[in-house]
Amino acid sequence: KSSQMAQASKPLYQYDLSSRGNEKDIASFAVSVQEPFLIEDLLYALVGIEGRYISIKRIRGKDGYVVFQIDTSMDLALQELTSRIFPLCEGYVLVNHFVESRSHFKNGFVNHALAAAIRAFLLDYQAMVAQLEHQFRLGKLSSQGLWFFCQRMMSSMNALAVLVEKAITDNVSGSATLNLLESQVKAMAGDNAVRSLLERMTECASAAYFKILERWVYEGVIDDPYGEFFISENKSLQKESLTEDYDAKYWEHRYKLKDGVPSFLRSVSHTILTTGKYLNVMRECGHHVQVPVSENSKLTSFGPNHEYLERIKAAYDFASGELLTLIKNKYDLIGKLRSLKRYLLVDQGDFLVHFMDIAREELSKSPKEVSAEKLQSLLDLALRMTAAASDPCHEELTCCVEKVSLQKTLATLKDLPGPVSGGNDAAIEDPELAEPLNITGLETFSLSYKVQWPLSLVISRKALTKYQMIFRLLFHCKHVSRQLCTAWQLHQGFRACKILGTPISRSSILCRSMLKFIDSLLHYLTFEVLEPNWHMMHDRLLTAKSIDEVIEFHDLFLHKCLKECLLLMPQLLKKVEKLKALCLRYATSIQVLIPSMNMLPERDAKLATTARIKQSQLKEQQLKLALENTVISDSIMKFENEFNVELQSLVPILSRNNSQSEPYLTHLAQCILGIRADQ
Amino acid sequence: YSVLVMDDNEVEESALVRDVLYACQGIDGRYVNYRSVNGVDGYDLPDSLTLPRSTRTMVRKLCEIGWLYKKVKGFIDESTSKIPSEEVGTVGQAFCSALNDELTDYYKLLAVLESHSMNPIPTPGSDSGLHGNYLSLRRLDVWLAEPTVRMRLMAVLVDGCRVLKGGAMVGAIHRHAKHGDPLVQDFMGRLLKRVCSPLFEMVRSWVLEGELEDIFSEFFIVGQPVKVESLWQEGYRIEPAMLPSFISPTLAQRIFRTGKSINFLRVCCDDSGWAAAAADAAAHVGTSTSRWGLGYGQIDALEALVIEAAKRIDSHLMDVIHKRYRFKDHCLAIKRYLLLGQGDFVQYLMDIVGPELSEPANTISAFQLAGLLEASIRASNAQYDDRDILDRLKVKMMDYSDGDRGWDVFSLEYDAGMPLDTVFTALVMKRYLKIFNYLWKLKRVEHALTTIWKTMKPNCIVKSIIAKEGFVSILRKCQVIWNEMNHFVTNFQDYIMFEVLEVSWAQFYDEMESSKDLDDLLSAHERYLESIVEKSLLGERSSTLRASLFGLFEVILRFRSHADRWFERIYELQSRGKAESKPKSKEIGQRLEGAGKAMTQLAGELFHKMGEDLDQIAKDYSNSLDIFIKQLPLQQHVDLKFLFFRLDFTEYYSCRK
Repeated sequence: KSSQMAQASKPLYQYDLSSRGNEKDIASFAVSVQEPFLIEDLLYALVGIEGRYISIKRIRGKDGYVVFQIDTSMDLALQELTSRIFPLCEGYVLVNHFVESRSHFKNGFVNHALAAAIRAFLLDYQAMVAQLEHQFRLGKLSSQGLWFFCQRMMSSMNALAVLVEKAITDNVSGSATLNLLESQVKAMAGDNAVRSLLERMTECASAAYFKILERWVYEGVIDDPYGEFFISENKSLQKESLTEDYDAKYWEHRYKLKDGVPSFLRSVSHTILTTGKYLNVMRECGHHVQVPVSENSKLTSFGPNHEYLERIKAAYDFASGELLTLIKNKYDLIGKLRSLKRYLLVDQGDFLVHFMDIAREELSKSPKEVSAEKLQSLLDLALRMTAAASDPCHEELTCCVEKVSLQKTLATLKDLPGPVSGGNDAAIEDPELAEPLNITGLETFSLSYKVQWPLSLVISRKALTKYQMIFRLLFHCKHVSRQLCTAWQLHQGFRACKILGTPISRSSILCRSMLKFIDSLLHYLTFEVLEPNWHMMHDRLLTAKSIDEVIEFHDLFLHKCLKECLLLMPQLLKKVEKLKALCLRYATSIQVLIPSMNMLPERDAKLATTARIKQSQLKEQQLKLALENTVISDSIMKFENEFNVELQSLVPILSRNNSQSEPYLTHLAQCILGIRADQ
Repeated sequence: YSVLVMDDNEVEESALVRDVLYACQGIDGRYVNYRSVNGVDGYDLPDSLTLPRSTRTMVRKLCEIGWLYKKVKGFIDESTSKIPSEEVGTVGQAFCSALNDELTDYYKLLAVLESHSMNPIPTPGSDSGLHGNYLSLRRLDVWLAEPTVRMRLMAVLVDGCRVLKGGAMVGAIHRHAKHGDPLVQDFMGRLLKRVCSPLFEMVRSWVLEGELEDIFSEFFIVGQPVKVESLWQEGYRIEPAMLPSFISPTLAQRIFRTGKSINFLRVCCDDSGWAAAAADAAAHVGTSTSRWGLGYGQIDALEALVIEAAKRIDSHLMDVIHKRYRFKDHCLAIKRYLLLGQGDFVQYLMDIVGPELSEPANTISAFQLAGLLEASIRASNAQYDDRDILDRLKVKMMDYSDGDRGWDVFSLEYDAGMPLDTVFTALVMKRYLKIFNYLWKLKRVEHALTTIWKTMKPNCIVKSIIAKEGFVSILRKCQVIWNEMNHFVTNFQDYIMFEVLEVSWAQFYDEMESSKDLDDLLSAHERYLESIVEKSLLGERSSTLRASLFGLFEVILRFRSHADRWFERIYELQSRGKAESKPKSKEIGQRLEGAGKAMTQLAGELFHKMGEDLDQIAKDYSNSLDIFIKQLPLQQHVDLKFLFFRLDFTEYYSCRK
């Protein structure tokens, strides 16, 4: 019967027939003879080699997976024993396959290191097999003994086989391998021997990873030829984009965390990322910095005591401190911010007034006709002739003329947070945002500032745009105020004559209330909003710990200023713009009207001084004058009404918002509306 | 059982072990032979032998190392046989010797194994008095596991480097060093250290001594024999194929330049101060600078050495160029004389050379012009300039063809001499010449306008009898045109002189001060020249604009020649009138009447003709100017807005459109 079985199983061995021919049927021997044959075969099988009666069947499509088979004519008890040892042999073949295949260059450092560690283990294993052979040769090894000696390796090999199987099926590399190891260590925590084996593997594999990490954390260099590291560099993002592009993503996306951070580094991945980023910034500045490394602070020691976390932290502290000092001291960040405030936040008055004087004509053209070159030369002139000349930063100032109004620009900047984003509001506003036809350079003029790397990290295009928004608002307010002042000056010409009852008196009152409005607004913007916020930011910058904090504080400052300058409240801003436009219209019409009616009162005054007798005549004339001036007076009345209505309409908006816990609006209400708010 | 086994195995295991050991050294044994079957070669047992297949497999597995060894050894032998030759080079030699050393270790192991194999393999029952150190196939497997890995690596390297040499070979080996296995890393580190050392030695001697010790052309810097003045530009170049990847391009550039600087100093400047600088640098870096002291892994040390040497050599070179050869003075001289920076000199030269240059080109003597040049130097502030510099200024006559006037062929030339001709190459001087001619033309136009002004100044002509209605109006027309032209020329010249030349010079001056090496200086100078050429509309892209500008100049010069003629006539008439006014006092009324009438008639004709000509010129002029102004904003590559803004300050031209 057994011979029949042997016949049936014959095809299994067929693929190596060359040596098969002279082998004898095992069943023909006694069990005591079968055993040494079997043991010898098993010793070969343990290192993955076929023997006389043990054959290997490869599983198709799966490299490294094999099934061992034994001659079925063998004694049944021996067969049973042998098949218990087979998992070890199969595990060996699989693990060996992994070692061979993962040592190829393309598989990455971590896999190389892991393979090397496993190879060391396999060498141990082979040595053990050789030891067993020695015993066998001395005739001291029985099949039971073999089974006993194999026990030591059984669980380890099994654990490795499981590990390798997972690694092969998921085709992991880099941090994924490390994560797999980590999870296997946890899963096998129960078995002491296996756990320590896997821990050793983890340590060896992560040593390679730590080498990459070390270069990044200590030098800011990604030395990662196989793409294993969890930080990737996007070389297409240039640092120049910071000064050009509003939506520049350089700082956020130049270096990015990839998926698959090794779990033991997950908690510090951001620290690691920023450390290298800071080192890189310094390198880009041509400032060679390396975190001082002493021999005992090498990152390579991976252990349960989390020493490496401390070291990463230390490197981070060093890098951020160094970069901050560099930016603050060598590149004088605070000085640059101060100079930005001086010009763009209209801190330095004399320069602006002078500039407005000399550039008035050019600025009153439409934005398309304004010549930026001419403005630039006028700006240079203004800078050189005023106190700004002593400022070393004034060379960086340039000017630009936008094409659209402030409101529209604000609406197009989508990412500005604020109530604008409400779907309803936007829908209502769109048609109204149609360009005012008579927009002039005064509305669209704005200063700009040349910012060099690495300061462009802080003062990016985006930040600068926000500065420009505020500047444009202030600049236009200033313009309105100046126009009203001119109107007021014209009114002063009438001081000598009686103006009671004439439109002049009415007009001068209106002029004053307009002046009060615009001056209060300016006061609010500068003294209530910009100054305190800037000082707050300044103080916080002095205590900032890292450049990220600096960026955050600066952005926060800008956002707060924008919000408190009403730029994020389109509704309110529209009202204010309307009021300003009204003031401007009034001022221009007064400048036309008053000279035209100047003639009469002047003559009157003369008459009054020269001839007292002609009182009646004078009265007559005054009557005539009053009649002539009804037109003027009417229009002034109209202005007055409109102004009052608009001003009053501000009250509900301001008080409504008031309840929404925005205290700065109370300040504004007090400033603009004065007593009326108290009523 | 043992009988059965004996039966089965035709060959004893110890014999097989010995054979395998031979195979490991590439030697055919009794049973194990090197065979090639179906294109697959390797060591194997003959089929005729009766052996269990496990043994066969084992032997085959063990003999892999032998196959690898054969390959490595073959490469080494092949290379060594060619030494010394171009094909292998010193790096190849180093590679071979490093491999050989590795093999020596391997031989040692094999020897030990050999001795082990002498001990008999124990058999059951024979355990007494046995040596433990016998060798079975399985034990051999354990012994050879690690050497196999190493041998495999060597074989891979050998395959990868077969056709390479020098820097390329180092680069290829370095590419294989990126491996996470500590064993491999160790091995590669050892190997690279050996292989790199000849290369690093070349770098060292190049950087510190300027010597290309590279007989097999393995280095990434290649020298070629050239003329002395083009040594810097063409004498040496970097061969990218030979540049190993661990030397970054910037470092390579720096290495390249340092050695080049030394050679430049040695050959062109005849200077020996560089040796001190190099020694200084070497001393500063310290230990690792002795010969053959640098190796792979000490790339930092190499970089430090290169940086240090580069710094010192470069600063020495700049020192020599600035102090000994007075680069700055020469640049300034070129700006003053060739770019017409020295106003009084140019004015005087124009005054005295002008009449001469109006002659046909072939009648002009260069000697005479040289004399005039000398005269104008003496007459102007240029005389206080250094004699050495003035001597370098010469008149150059360009080739002329028929009909050329002196104006077309005259130009100045400046010879900066050795070694500055590296900067002021013939090509560069040609560009300077082009700029000079352009400026000279502009100057000539300006000069012409001034000359006209001298003749037509109103106070030269008033109080004349012919100062009649017609004349006043025509004179006025003349003045208007002159003013218009003058406005244009003055502003254009201002633009060229102040916006182009001075600004470029200031920029160049800054860059010159801050440039650390000759390359910086060259590129700064190149930028300087380029900016002048582009901004003064001499560039390729502004050729149409330039053409219309020359058209304008043409009209102005025509105006000048006409005006000369008119005023000559007018003065003639005037003097005749004066002469005739004398007889008037002697009361010869009749004749005077007649003559007066004739003269009035003559004058009338003249004015008529003049008026016609003037109208024509005015029309031509305004046409050309229109074209010019219209083209101005089209020149996107130069910032001409300011020029436009100056020309059109009152918006007169833009309103006229």
